[in-house]
Amino acid sequence: MPPGADTPEMERHQNSVTRTPLNSVVVQRRSKSKSYRLSYRSCLGATSRLCFTPALTARRLNTSRRAPKSHNITEKVNPEKLALLVKTEWQLSYVSPLYQFRHTQLKSYSRQLSAFIAAEKQQGLAVEVEGPQKTFRVSFSLVQGMAESDDDAETVLIQIHSKPLFARQDEPQRPVWSGWLTCINGNPDYLRSLPKDFICLPLFGSSGAEALTTLVKSWFQQFFDCCFGPLEISHTCLQWLMALWTNCHTESSIQHLKMIWTLPVVPPLQVTYTVNSEDAWELWSSVRKEKEKENKAGEMAKDEEENSIDIEEVTGFMQGLKSHFYRHFRLDLSAGSLDQVSTALGSAKYKGRIKISNSRYMITTLTLLTECALLKMPI
Amino acid sequence: MSVLNPFSKLPGLNTANILLVESEEQFQQSLADALVEETAATVNVRLAKSLPLPLENEEDRPRIDLVAFIINLTSELSFQSAEASLKFLDPGYFLGKVCFMVTNARNTAVPTERLDAVRKLAASLHCPLLFAEDQTPDGVTNATERLLSILKVAAGLVPMTTALYLSSLTRCTVPPDIDQPSFD
Repeated sequence: MPPGADTPEMERHQNSVTRTPLNSVVVQRRSKSKSYRLSYRSCLGATSRLCFTPALTARRLNTSRRAPKSHNITEKVNPEKLALLVKTEWQLSYVSPLYQFRHTQLKSYSRQLSAFIAAEKQQGLAVEVEGPQKTFRVSFSLVQGMAESDDDAETVLIQIHSKPLFARQDEPQRPVWSGWLTCINGNPDYLRSLPKDFICLPLFGSSGAEALTTLVKSWFQQFFDCCFGPLEISHTCLQWLMALWTNCHTESSIQHLKMIWTLPVVPPLQVTYTVNSEDAWELWSSVRKEKEKENKAGEMAKDEEENSIDIEEVTGFMQGLKSHFYRHFRLDLSAGSLDQVSTALGSAKYKGRIKISNSRYMITTLTLLTECALLKMPI
Repeated sequence: MSVLNPFSKLPGLNTANILLVESEEQFQQSLADALVEETAATVNVRLAKSLPLPLENEEDRPRIDLVAFIINLTSELSFQSAEASLKFLDPGYFLGKVCFMVTNARNTAVPTERLDAVRKLAASLHCPLLFAEDQTPDGVTNATERLLSILKVAAGLVPMTTALYLSSLTRCTVPPDIDQPSFD
């Protein structure tokens, strides 16, 4: 073997070994658009690369948010579609950004999803327990007017209709499953940092048979290369919902504030703590007044102060309720965990179930839940 | 107010005394069983639910070398009880003779704010923060080993090392952006 033939190979070999230094990986992730499951943190500024990785710490909700104004949402959104969204209990999941999802191709998506469900049925995956004659018709529709900021994508509503088993020929199909994908007031930095082909609709709600939910999720995962995961409504988030709903009491009465706690004793003790709406409102406004007095000492713009609610006020409100309970029952609820919060405006369960009963505060609730979904999305 | 004092009594020969403070009184039992197995020195384990300790035992109680607070993150009460107990410790303890041990940190039911609050507390007191897993025997063994290494230094059984020196190496730190919300 002539020595000349060896050396160019060796050189090439050397080049390929030295071409990938480790510290350029971070740079690659930010500029290349190959990673489909985009990290939320990769869009944070340069400081995140130079000092501590915020990986361990940037996992918290806003500490203060605007008080909800009642949006007369029926002006902007089709009231029929709105009626489908309220008063149903939805199971929540988070979704990573969808690749090449086009709002203009909804009809073709409906056809494809119906075909997918029919094919899965053929394969023998049990979809329903009744006879094999059921045909499913899927409809994708747009719920326009719910997006709050310019970066939000429009909400998509998915419904699966089918005829009941012993139906007459002319009986209309009833919806057996509904779901929606939405993004309300998502973080603009994150939304703008996504590559062009991705749409971010991080919050997914579903109601209906579990088998159909899994089918729809697997279809989305196959077509748009996204991933779904369960979304729990954390303790802090439940506290926020409680405070935000109580704050709306003057405009539309909450009628009662009901909390369900579980205490870790043997056998497990479940406490249902219902507070009269007037009392809850008095407690909340006294907590707010204290905060106002503190703020007057410092100087804050008046309209900001009226509108924003801080996390300290929320924890103060919760602390007041817990100490009242302790005074009467000698049971400290801090030892347990909060499972469910419900008022006349809606109910939220720790497991990830949400029901919005009044369409006026839907935007605020969904903003909070979108934030939770964006935080829970994995790297 | 009975404050626990680190240097008011004489130490024992080749002995280390540890006080485990836990509001739930669960993990401390299994930890205690594992801690007394140590053969290199005599380890005395004292258990408490919270401070202050009862006055009746004041005379018989040996010098406590290390106070370990066990906080269960799934319960708010656990953290509050530990915080309230800190008042009953003499400031001399915070020179390396206190440590925090946290369980259930990986549980999804734990709001991140609670872990942040524990970290801030440990960092402000310059104490180490240990994470432990209390459900499996392996977890208990690991937690025991880590506690023993700090305990031996705090009891003066390790030459060339003092509790203050060790604490300057092992103390909990808080990243500067811990208070920054993820969204604006």
